[in-house]
Amino acid sequence: MNPAISDETLHAFVDGQLDVADSEALTARLRGDPTLAQRVCTLRSLQSMVRLAYAEPPVAVGAQPQRLQRRHLMQRCAFGCLVLFAGLSGGWALRSMEMQTASALQAPAASGYQAVSLTREADPNRVLLHLDSAAPGRMQAALDQAERLLDEAEREGRAMQLEIVANSHGINLMRAGVSPHAARMARMTERHANLQWVACNQTIARFTSEGQKVELLPAARVAPTAIGEIVTRLQQGWTYVRV
Amino acid sequence: MISKFLFGPVRTGMEAHRPVLYRIAYAWCHDATLADDLVQEALAKAWARRAQLRDEAALKAWMVSIMNHCWLDHLRGRREFDDVDVLQDELESAMESPEACCNREQVIACVRAAVARLPLGQRQVLTLVDLEEFGYAEVAEILNIPVGTVMSRLSRARASLKSMLDIAAKQHAAQPALRRVK
Repeated sequence: MNPAISDETLHAFVDGQLDVADSEALTARLRGDPTLAQRVCTLRSLQSMVRLAYAEPPVAVGAQPQRLQRRHLMQRCAFGCLVLFAGLSGGWALRSMEMQTASALQAPAASGYQAVSLTREADPNRVLLHLDSAAPGRMQAALDQAERLLDEAEREGRAMQLEIVANSHGINLMRAGVSPHAARMARMTERHANLQWVACNQTIARFTSEGQKVELLPAARVAPTAIGEIVTRLQQGWTYVRV
Repeated sequence: MISKFLFGPVRTGMEAHRPVLYRIAYAWCHDATLADDLVQEALAKAWARRAQLRDEAALKAWMVSIMNHCWLDHLRGRREFDDVDVLQDELESAMESPEACCNREQVIACVRAAVARLPLGQRQVLTLVDLEEFGYAEVAEILNIPVGTVMSRLSRARASLKSMLDIAAKQHAAQPALRRVK
């Protein structure tokens, strides 16, 4: 029987402060221990709530502009000329830099997909895949992509969180009895503790009103709207990839 | 780029951290004007003491630690506390208790209210770890406390945050039931 895990250790795990070996051992235990997984999940959601709460702190009224207007107006005029000159000469340097960042952004996604992130660098450890079509190729691609990212993270020893959000016809992927990949998805969920399936409630409501009964696979959870989920995740610094 | 040209990389680096500092300052004091003042003071002090910065990679942590001193100075000046250590474990903000959460804005207000009610020491550790993803060792250095204290404060902070939010969620869950009774 394994010894109980202290709160401090769990916090260190969630904050990425454990070393690779301890972190891997804990990840392995999480798979077989739902109570522990629940504790980690609670901590993570607490953390994302705190992040969300301070994502856009209110701005102090009138604090900034005054200072700028008075003191720096003259300097700004003088700098204007310099800006022009530096802008021209810097054009070349910036051009190559921008190409570099663009390729860095695409790094977490496979070729042919574009990753979007609000942060300066796309975070390869928190990725959201968005599926809105029932085309077999797209479904297949979403699962392949997810598995590739998760395997890569596992090989490199990173703790990665991945979420697959489905709306519109993409929701068929998560419907019990409809999904062509149910068995594979169950296998993936079992292998990767940090993989989540999210279905859009609005889509479910629409399907229901059209007379179709929507039953989701046991692994999928429901979010009020897919767009809301995506926006929230982006604000939390996740990387968005549309499949 | 221009200011980099004129003032060197340190000045631009400092200015670039303004939003980060502001977010942390706001999470500590929950007062936009005061937070802005703290950031301004920290930037001015950092600029004046730029010669003391040995490692440019640690610029962010160094500036946060300067802001921590500004904040503690402010608290010392405002209240007649001689012993800030006592204050760090006991002071709770006077903000209202977190109330019902249902939509996004309310969740945000709710979490902010809960964070504001944490004792100062815990609030600082929690915000540095959660908002800026500082490592425990970095936080220990910024706040000048042992790593063990960082971990215990973080653990207590999250536990009380969770219980405050749970209570708030229960209050919310109770409300619709009351409506349905009539």
